[in-house]
Amino acid sequence: MSTETERGLSHNKSDFDFHGRALDNIFDDYQDMLANGPVGHSDKYGGFWYITKSEDIFNAEQDPDTFAVGPSMLLPAFGTDVPLIPIDIDPPTHADFRKILLPMFTPMNVSKLGPGMRETARQLCQEVLAAGDVVDVSAKLARPMPTIIFSRLAGYPEQDWPIFDRWIDEIIYERTAHPETAYAAGRELNDYFDRLLDEREKAGPEADASNDLITQLLKAEVKGRKLTREELLSYCYLLFLAGLDTTAWAIRSALWYLAGNPQAQQQLREDPDLIPTAAEEFLRTLSPVQAMARTAKADTVVRGQEIKAGERVVLVFGAGNRDPEVYEEPNEIKIDREDNRHLAFGGGIHRCLGSNLGRAEMVIAMEEFLKAVPHFERANNDEPWHGVGPLTLKIGA
Amino acid sequence: MGELWVDGGRCQGHARCWALAPETFEIDEEGYAHVIPGRENSGDEPNVRKAIRNCPERAILERETDDAGEKAEEVSTS
Repeated sequence: MSTETERGLSHNKSDFDFHGRALDNIFDDYQDMLANGPVGHSDKYGGFWYITKSEDIFNAEQDPDTFAVGPSMLLPAFGTDVPLIPIDIDPPTHADFRKILLPMFTPMNVSKLGPGMRETARQLCQEVLAAGDVVDVSAKLARPMPTIIFSRLAGYPEQDWPIFDRWIDEIIYERTAHPETAYAAGRELNDYFDRLLDEREKAGPEADASNDLITQLLKAEVKGRKLTREELLSYCYLLFLAGLDTTAWAIRSALWYLAGNPQAQQQLREDPDLIPTAAEEFLRTLSPVQAMARTAKADTVVRGQEIKAGERVVLVFGAGNRDPEVYEEPNEIKIDREDNRHLAFGGGIHRCLGSNLGRAEMVIAMEEFLKAVPHFERANNDEPWHGVGPLTLKIGA
Repeated sequence: MGELWVDGGRCQGHARCWALAPETFEIDEEGYAHVIPGRENSGDEPNVRKAIRNCPERAILERETDDAGEKAEEVSTS
């Protein structure tokens, strides 16, 4: 065995990307990387090491001292170079910031939102039915549902919801091809929250009985002091981008799969109790967040590959979620797969804060869509999976 | 089978255990999981095994009962 092979570099993918159109054919690449070079180096985005094996990703997440997040977990940056709270913060400060909103995202608190979420899903499904026989369900359900639900929870004024999609598109999806567009939108989003916080502070947070996320942030204390305006803005900025888009992607992916697989659709109609299990399988195989970055804080070795302090490291959750060492037939989507210890929400101290909310929205969206729409299929049967963009379905009675 | 416990240092609040086996696991106000008192010996129930196999942090552990509770050993995840 050559040294190169031992170091996992024989199948090094120097052009490996995990954004945008690069994802269209990513799953074959993942299998190749997992089998032939599970740790490698890409030249994209200033250069980074990628880690694809489930076990290695798990170990990196459990070791935040070696695999730190600063300067940013997002690669490339999310339309701003300000560290985002709490995901771009390392221990020990990280826990103080994360703790502020933990109680808002427990399964119990999320279940209190259930009836409102279901009502929103029902209304949107009726709008899908009213829109005709061929409908973009991304625009009619997958995107508006999380926007409405999260905006209510966070306290974003209802009249502002229509402009949110553009900021998401420009900051998240234009940032690789048009970084200047992402930064311009990032400034707009920052200014939006600056105005919103001004209004809230004038109204007085104590007088605000709504108990929404923004109120919680304004009331919160870290080490005995209130958050600075910069910290508040950073937290609001992250919540906006993390709370709206990922769930839209998850709902869209589930509907894409079901639209192309009438047998699975039928199975879930006959046994709706299987929907939460199916949701986990969609999260595993079609994860909204395919990868997140870290920075090595010390020289380290992963699967024989040396990684130097200061180098960027990308944990490829999407590949780990299809690791044949962990999952039988990893590329098969089995909606009744019961053993599903996937990495879709990350792990360790940075586990997705909103995972319980995202799961609940996904399940409710599927339940209500299957109830409201007796039959649906893809308008273009060959349409590959995309997490973003339109999803045009033929809706049948 | 030993005595079940959730390692508070590992649990990150994914709440998979609570979703799969609510009769054995509860979630506190910050979202972290605990074994419901009195349910420490439910480790051989199918839902509990499923919860163990699905915990993303591998935080559900089993204490050897014949070792005075001193030795903690991870439950097989096969």
